[in-house]
Amino acid sequence: MRNRRPPAGVSYGIIIVMNGDNKFMREHSARLEDLFITRRQFLQRAGMGFGMLGLATLLGEQLLGSTAQAETIATLAPRKPPFPAKAKHVIHIFAQGAPSHVDTWDPKPALAQYDGKEIPGMDGVAMASPFKFSKHGNSGIEVSEVFPKLSELVDDLAVVRSMYTDIPAHEVATVFMNTGSTRLARPSLGSWVLYGLGTENQNMPGFVSLRPGGTPPGGSSNWQASFLPGIYQGVSVNTRVPSVYQLMQNIRNQYTSLPEQRRQLDLVYKLNELHSQNLEKDAQLEARMQAFEMAFKMQTEATDAFDLNKEPQAMRDLYGRTPQGNQLLIARRLIERGVRFVQVWAGGWDHHQDLEERLPERAKDIDQPLAALLNDLKQRQLLDETLVIWGGEFGRKPVRDRNGNDNPGRDHNGKAFSTVLAGGGVRGGMVYGATDEFGAAAVENKVHVHDLHATILALLGFDHRQLTYRYNGRDFRLTDVSGEVVKPVIA
Amino acid sequence: MKRDARRFRFGMAPGAQPGHTCCGLRSALRKPGLRPPLLSLLFSVLLCGLFAQGLGLAAAPTAAQLQFFENHVRPILSENCYKCHSQQAEKIKAGLLLDTREGVLKGGDSGPAIVPGDPEHSLLVKAIRYTDPDLQMPPKGRKLPDTVIADLVAWVQMGAPDPRAGGAPKQWADKAHWWAWQPLKEPPVPQVQDSSWSKTPVDNFILAKLDEKGLKPNPPADKRTLLRRATFDLIGLPPTEQEIQNFLNDDSPDAFAKVVDRLLASPHYGERWGRHWLDVARYSDTKGQIRRQREDPNYPFAWTYRDYVIRSFNEDKPFNLFIIEQLAADKLPATRNNLTNLCALGFLTVGDRFMGMQNDIINDRIDVVTKGFLGLTVTCARCHDHKFDPIPTKDYYSLRGVFASCTEPPIEPVIVRDLNGTNYADYYKQRMDLERVKDSFPARLRELRRARDRQGLRKIQREMRENESSIVQLELTHPGAPPRAMVLEDVRRPQDSPVFIRGDAGNKGPLVARHFLEVLSGAARPPFTNGSGRLDLAWAIASKNNPMTARVLINRLWLNHFGEGFVPTPDDFGTTSEPPSHPELLDYLASRFMAEGWSLKKMHRLIMLSSVYQESSAYNARYAQVDPDNRLLWRANIRRLEFEALRDSLLAIGGDLDPTMYGRPVNIEQEPYSTRRTIYGRVDRANLADVLINFDFANPDMPNGRRHETTVPQQALFLMNSPLVIEQAKHLVALPDFSSCTDETARVQFLYERIYQRPAQAEEVQLGLDFIGAASDQVSSMGAEPGPDFQQVSTERQRAQVGPAGRRRFGNRPGMRRREPLKPWQEYAHALLQANEASFIN
Repeated sequence: MRNRRPPAGVSYGIIIVMNGDNKFMREHSARLEDLFITRRQFLQRAGMGFGMLGLATLLGEQLLGSTAQAETIATLAPRKPPFPAKAKHVIHIFAQGAPSHVDTWDPKPALAQYDGKEIPGMDGVAMASPFKFSKHGNSGIEVSEVFPKLSELVDDLAVVRSMYTDIPAHEVATVFMNTGSTRLARPSLGSWVLYGLGTENQNMPGFVSLRPGGTPPGGSSNWQASFLPGIYQGVSVNTRVPSVYQLMQNIRNQYTSLPEQRRQLDLVYKLNELHSQNLEKDAQLEARMQAFEMAFKMQTEATDAFDLNKEPQAMRDLYGRTPQGNQLLIARRLIERGVRFVQVWAGGWDHHQDLEERLPERAKDIDQPLAALLNDLKQRQLLDETLVIWGGEFGRKPVRDRNGNDNPGRDHNGKAFSTVLAGGGVRGGMVYGATDEFGAAAVENKVHVHDLHATILALLGFDHRQLTYRYNGRDFRLTDVSGEVVKPVIA
Repeated sequence: MKRDARRFRFGMAPGAQPGHTCCGLRSALRKPGLRPPLLSLLFSVLLCGLFAQGLGLAAAPTAAQLQFFENHVRPILSENCYKCHSQQAEKIKAGLLLDTREGVLKGGDSGPAIVPGDPEHSLLVKAIRYTDPDLQMPPKGRKLPDTVIADLVAWVQMGAPDPRAGGAPKQWADKAHWWAWQPLKEPPVPQVQDSSWSKTPVDNFILAKLDEKGLKPNPPADKRTLLRRATFDLIGLPPTEQEIQNFLNDDSPDAFAKVVDRLLASPHYGERWGRHWLDVARYSDTKGQIRRQREDPNYPFAWTYRDYVIRSFNEDKPFNLFIIEQLAADKLPATRNNLTNLCALGFLTVGDRFMGMQNDIINDRIDVVTKGFLGLTVTCARCHDHKFDPIPTKDYYSLRGVFASCTEPPIEPVIVRDLNGTNYADYYKQRMDLERVKDSFPARLRELRRARDRQGLRKIQREMRENESSIVQLELTHPGAPPRAMVLEDVRRPQDSPVFIRGDAGNKGPLVARHFLEVLSGAARPPFTNGSGRLDLAWAIASKNNPMTARVLINRLWLNHFGEGFVPTPDDFGTTSEPPSHPELLDYLASRFMAEGWSLKKMHRLIMLSSVYQESSAYNARYAQVDPDNRLLWRANIRRLEFEALRDSLLAIGGDLDPTMYGRPVNIEQEPYSTRRTIYGRVDRANLADVLINFDFANPDMPNGRRHETTVPQQALFLMNSPLVIEQAKHLVALPDFSSCTDETARVQFLYERIYQRPAQAEEVQLGLDFIGAASDQVSSMGAEPGPDFQQVSTERQRAQVGPAGRRRFGNRPGMRRREPLKPWQEYAHALLQANEASFIN
């Protein structure tokens, strides 16, 4: 009988039954239109009488050609974006806490001149960067000495020095960077990407958020699906748990061995088949059988992706056996397996005091792992299709924080910060935009958070104005009503 | 005096006689408190700064500015732009109107045409400058002269002063006749050719529509299916064996009516239907976005609102009263005799706290009220007139005036008067101790500030935070802590709100009176006069003259009975929503609902005793061609159980369900979990439990009239691997009724009866016996050994970092607990629990 167990080697999508019209799909892609539709539209179009798999095959052949695997009306099935794109995956390393741009990627010699003196028109006294900047690579981009390994790769990086945001408070700005909304619940960047592109490995979650213990400010708002369907929510994983079995809830069965569970599932499929005989292959019922099959595979595949013991020792050393090294190595293993979006929390940058000592520690945490990641991705020819982003939620002031006393640091600054992009169709070896003489505010080619989002979506093949989702009578998008693509950073 | 004040704040001292003021709302002592509004002030300033910078729209243009507009702007727009961008245009291009002030600010498909005060971010400026090859206006190289461009830039720079009157946007002109805001009239019951099918007038409406398409309704479902459907529908649990037998043996014509009455009388009814309402009320036990330095994330008393909802449903509280209590219970004389009703106000107060941003909190309250009761997306009008529905920004700020005239008292009032006993005495002492510490803060703070002792300040801030948390924890856990209501009350001097131009609190427009929505009450509506106006608002919503409220509620009811509403978007009946599938039936039910005293239980009864509710779900290929979505209801929809019903039924089947009702939230997430009904589980909006997310639980950040329905592997993982599910399978085969079965066939039958509420068919029995037979050969040969594929994430720090689940680790297998392998019958029972039938209603 059909559908007893989906044949091996076939990847399955997920069926969603929900309401809502989808303007983006309706207007911008003839192919997607038929792949991503509500069940109601789908059934109207396709009629009944096929089992889901039959339909899937039909749709797969007619619409996807031979390149795609047979898919159901899959909301997580991989799909092509409306425009040509280089980036297929994203690794977003969130330097939470707001790294000081003038001590990392945005050298300001004027600060040395004014060190300890008042800057005209500014409140407080200037604080020179305690770190040396020097030129690197063919591009000659100046990078702070706190990033010795990353500066070697500067020709692969696009350094955006003119970022700015709306509200320089950590939680608000962090959630803003991840959702494009300061407070109201909105889908996260990763959720939008997953909604737009689906994911390539149906045995893995498509959007994974890695955190080294703890919860970042804003918590799950940073990876939430909000009004998008729950399948687009990021799966948050605490990488500090001691066992892969604790990474995801219910990922393994503690009573039943895998072979025995296989036997049990075969029985479940038979029961389901009898149950649905009278109900004529209700799409929901069949989708559910596929979900069980996926779940079964996930038990081994998902845990495997997180198992760093499967990496050669040399590779572990390359990334460094540190929490961030482990996180980035996991990120690479996830990308390799087709995961669409990986968010990596790498925070601790809130240096109000004692910046000279503490900022290099944070930089050291990420310098070697990130350099290793970029090299590793390059070697595996994954860098071209993987957009890597490093950056925080805002920047810091050129003046001393009043609380710093003898060990000065810098206060919050929403008007200027730096974000670094690499891979995924980004033009390497370039600096985009500039801040003023002191780094107090972005002045040239300013890039707002919405603009960054628009650019990320553009790299992934979307017009940010068209990637919309209808919720309560209105089409919503990541960039709200603004956002402009920063075209010069696109290769 | 001080002591008395305390008494009012915390309830009574032990042994004291309750006086009439001790629990009163207004008697709560208002203490300035220790919350320097510094951070929120900072935000406000920043926000204002932001908006002021971006949207520096002058409130009233000066004469010179207007002259500039008339001389240098209007002629240019008129000559060069109006042809495509005005109401006179033959075809409006890009949805952009430049002939009204609103049109310019609202912009077109690409967003606002200008950002007042910020030419560099104004699309119009960009377009006329011809810098972007994709955006050049006027088109086709007819670039404006540089001087003209400079004039327009200067105009935008000065804030785009514009005297042109807006008038009603053109797009509303044809919205006045939208069905949803037409008056409600009870339509006549249609005549149908074959009246034998109709059991109630509801059926006539259904049949009339089916007749039009030449469809016939399905025959009735068999009695077991019907009983299972009705039981899950009304109480969210499976029928017991005794209930099944009673129904099967009852041949009287009103056998099913008796079932419906029994279920409606069950206290579980409120747990089921109350949960539907809690979805709408965006219920959560936590505050969401908070100022973490200063606030505890928990609402210690949100559960009193949840309990109020359950009670109200069980009592069949008239829905109009239910509305009024949730908006203004504090204003009702009856509340004085029943303080529990104050808990109703949780409807307004259990929302997100948005880091203390009042305007966002108010926005959330307007949202839940207007979507929840009226099916209107009024909050769309916060920054601009509603794009699709006739809801002007003024109406939003009219409601804002209502909620901005309300406040939450620093201490929630106690709602039960029994304050004796040792538990209470102990609680009272602890709370007093904490309060004494709290009272010491202001003086200490002043001192430290004076001494500029930064370290000391940091320390005291930590102490204040801890004190706050200790109080919340005490209220949340101490057995003697009396329940309190999360009330809202009017401020002493309620005020109208100004319009915030483009939603910017720093850019105030004219004041608008507090009154009801124009679309529902006409332009000549009277202003609210009673305090903040909450009570007036409640009356307006619950008024029989308001056609929306009953329609929206009946639609919610229908949706939860049939899996689809007349209107598929229950929280939005606006002009972008799909019109109802059965408008006459919707109005008929809504009219009767109001005429018969706003009783939900009467409506359940009317609907469920109709033939349309009792149809079978059998498939019909030809009908599916005509009506693939079953919008006309030629069959019963197959529906998946929501997470609550699924989990509760698993526990009920395994005999584990703890039927205790009400009270503080319980842990349903991690072992050892509570086996109480899922509605009592803690809902943390900031960190929703994985299992809730995976099963499409209603997002507590917004009103949800319907949940998403996704099918994902994580759901399967729960059924396959969660100890909760597997333990139920084990309990099943440990039941005496199972052991006393005489043979294996009887065991299979027992399990089917228990799990699916029906006997197994021969084929199914055989599958079961085969499974058991094959298992016996290899019984217990494979345990739950993690096997060679067990791994650890990292080698560093792992010993030190053991999470909650890790507590149970043994040997070198953290996260994996050794559990005895399942025996064949347990495994078989577990398979039955995983199969579709356990998760779906036919």
